[in-house]
Amino acid sequence: MPELTRYGYRDAMSGFFEFPTENARRILPAHLEPVEVHHGTSVFALTAFDFNQSEVGPYGEVVMAVLVSPLVKPGQPFPKSAMYPYLVATTTRAAREHAIERWHLPHWMEDVDIAFDRPGDHIAVHVKADGAPVVDMTIYQYAWKPVSHLHQSFMKDGEANYFAQVTMEGQHSEHEDEKGKLVLHDHPFNKALSIPDVYDTPFREQWMRDGLQTFQPLVQLEAA
Amino acid sequence: MEAAQKKDAEAGKPAFTDYDYSNFYYGAGDDPLNLLPPFTEWYREARPNGYYLYSEPLESAPTTKVRVRNGKTGEVRELINLASYNYLGISYRPEVRRAAIEALERYGLGASGSPILSGTFDIHVKLAEAVAQFKEKEGAILFPTGYSANVGFISALMRSGDHIFCDQYAHASIVDGAILAKSKTVFFRHNNPMDLERKLGGVHGKKLVVVEGVYSMDGDVCLLPEIVDVAKRHGARILIDEAHSTFLFGANGRGVAEHFGLEEEVDFHLGTFSKSLGGQGGFVAGSQELVDYVRGFGRSRFFSCNLAPALAAGLLTGLHIVENEPELRTRLWSNVAFLRRRFAEEGIDIGKSTSQVMPVMVNNDAKVFAVAEKIQEGGLYLQPVTYPAVPKHKSRLRISVSAAHSEEELETALQVIARVLRAEGICRS
Repeated sequence: MPELTRYGYRDAMSGFFEFPTENARRILPAHLEPVEVHHGTSVFALTAFDFNQSEVGPYGEVVMAVLVSPLVKPGQPFPKSAMYPYLVATTTRAAREHAIERWHLPHWMEDVDIAFDRPGDHIAVHVKADGAPVVDMTIYQYAWKPVSHLHQSFMKDGEANYFAQVTMEGQHSEHEDEKGKLVLHDHPFNKALSIPDVYDTPFREQWMRDGLQTFQPLVQLEAA
Repeated sequence: MEAAQKKDAEAGKPAFTDYDYSNFYYGAGDDPLNLLPPFTEWYREARPNGYYLYSEPLESAPTTKVRVRNGKTGEVRELINLASYNYLGISYRPEVRRAAIEALERYGLGASGSPILSGTFDIHVKLAEAVAQFKEKEGAILFPTGYSANVGFISALMRSGDHIFCDQYAHASIVDGAILAKSKTVFFRHNNPMDLERKLGGVHGKKLVVVEGVYSMDGDVCLLPEIVDVAKRHGARILIDEAHSTFLFGANGRGVAEHFGLEEEVDFHLGTFSKSLGGQGGFVAGSQELVDYVRGFGRSRFFSCNLAPALAAGLLTGLHIVENEPELRTRLWSNVAFLRRRFAEEGIDIGKSTSQVMPVMVNNDAKVFAVAEKIQEGGLYLQPVTYPAVPKHKSRLRISVSAAHSEEELETALQVIARVLRAEGICRS
């Protein structure tokens, strides 16, 4: 059995937003293909984690990613999604160093402030870097049910390309009621995005809570 | 179906309901055939658990009752038909069939050629002239299908570097036309003039806004006055696809543009013969200059065989029926009003529909197939629509109301739907 890395979380909230494929292609390495919801429209995914258990203790994390085509293998389970995280930010240095070393994830190299509001049927996250607001996102709940979903994550570090299978277990709520909201502030944190072209209402809102994120060991991909 | 899900759970493998068509778009390796095995494995389980409801063969004309061969049992039953378009009940009218038979005797089976070469017959010319006259335009050009009309017309007119602004719920033929045109395609939120305004802002060059008269999954009508206002202020041309509204809306049945008094403001009028006339084919009506240009550049048309002459003859007769029997539209809207009222009385959600297309909202992706099966067992022919054709948790049963339905048939249908939805806890008792 390969060695697994587990992260317990209280909340993992995601919003999926339409944005231009030309913006997605500017972010993605050449070997990855963006998933399009419409011709010319790709998906920007923002996920905020409230981790309460990990090798480096509790911490908050925000992941900016682009949805990409999965790597499908004969006879293997199909993933629910595949993504290329192009920027990760954490609340602690230890979490950042751990993720860079083990997963080769690109990071905002300062601690950020991540605050969650849970007023009832929705959850909001507020992210600040250098004391300035960079991202605010709200999503709403739907019905809850326990799930175990397989996802894929692609990483690039210098000339090397990596891949990891990630299982998300926990209580799951997902809908496409377009209730949520995203505010991207004008800040270097968001420099990869053409902010006016990112639709500010998520077409899909996914909220998981009281669960476990499990990484299989990192795989280095052959050069494209 | 629920038993199958339980069995999957006990076996520790994902339930087939965890997957849908969207999961099988990508495959492993370098061989395109690698796409097939995982899809086949899923479909073998999905088909007997509800997906068989798609493409069940009909063994009679699509009248208000239809003989359907059950895709699972093979049993043939007569069901009340709520699935076929045929909104005016024209396709099986005796005079339509007679016209088609006479043309079949005269011309034979098909056109045997492209419309730009040897495939144009006198009956095609008559049909195009009749369409132009009906739409009060200088000319009209015919296409072999509605899909072909959008693909061919949009790619005939728009180029790389141009901008096409489509409603996010635009039909696949509009999207494929935009892809073929190689124009930059921008989607605005469904029926949202403010979002269109935002997206048109600052865009220069040739611009085309594409909307539909009636949207086929929700049955709502385009907010045409507001869309036209925004498009005109930004110097964009407007194409309206009246597939589900031509021959129905407006005092003379010319469509939603006539209904709103905006026929002159809309630049391009596209329609189909497959919906209200229950036939096949599409058309674009406009100036003679436009028709001549599209004749030369509409590749989907001139690289296809022309409409079968017998079909064109039946359509021509159908068009004359539309012109001479406005009471058919009156009857349709009376049926629509009746069913809307009864759905409301029974607490059944039909979303934002204001037309003859009515989605009965199930809003439960896991249950929609079981609901559809029970409704078919109850004697109705209609199909479920689920993700990815509609958003997650917005599953529905799509109903097409026809002028030919009797109130008794609609009431019977309503009772079956209400009984099943109540039993499933989907509408109030």
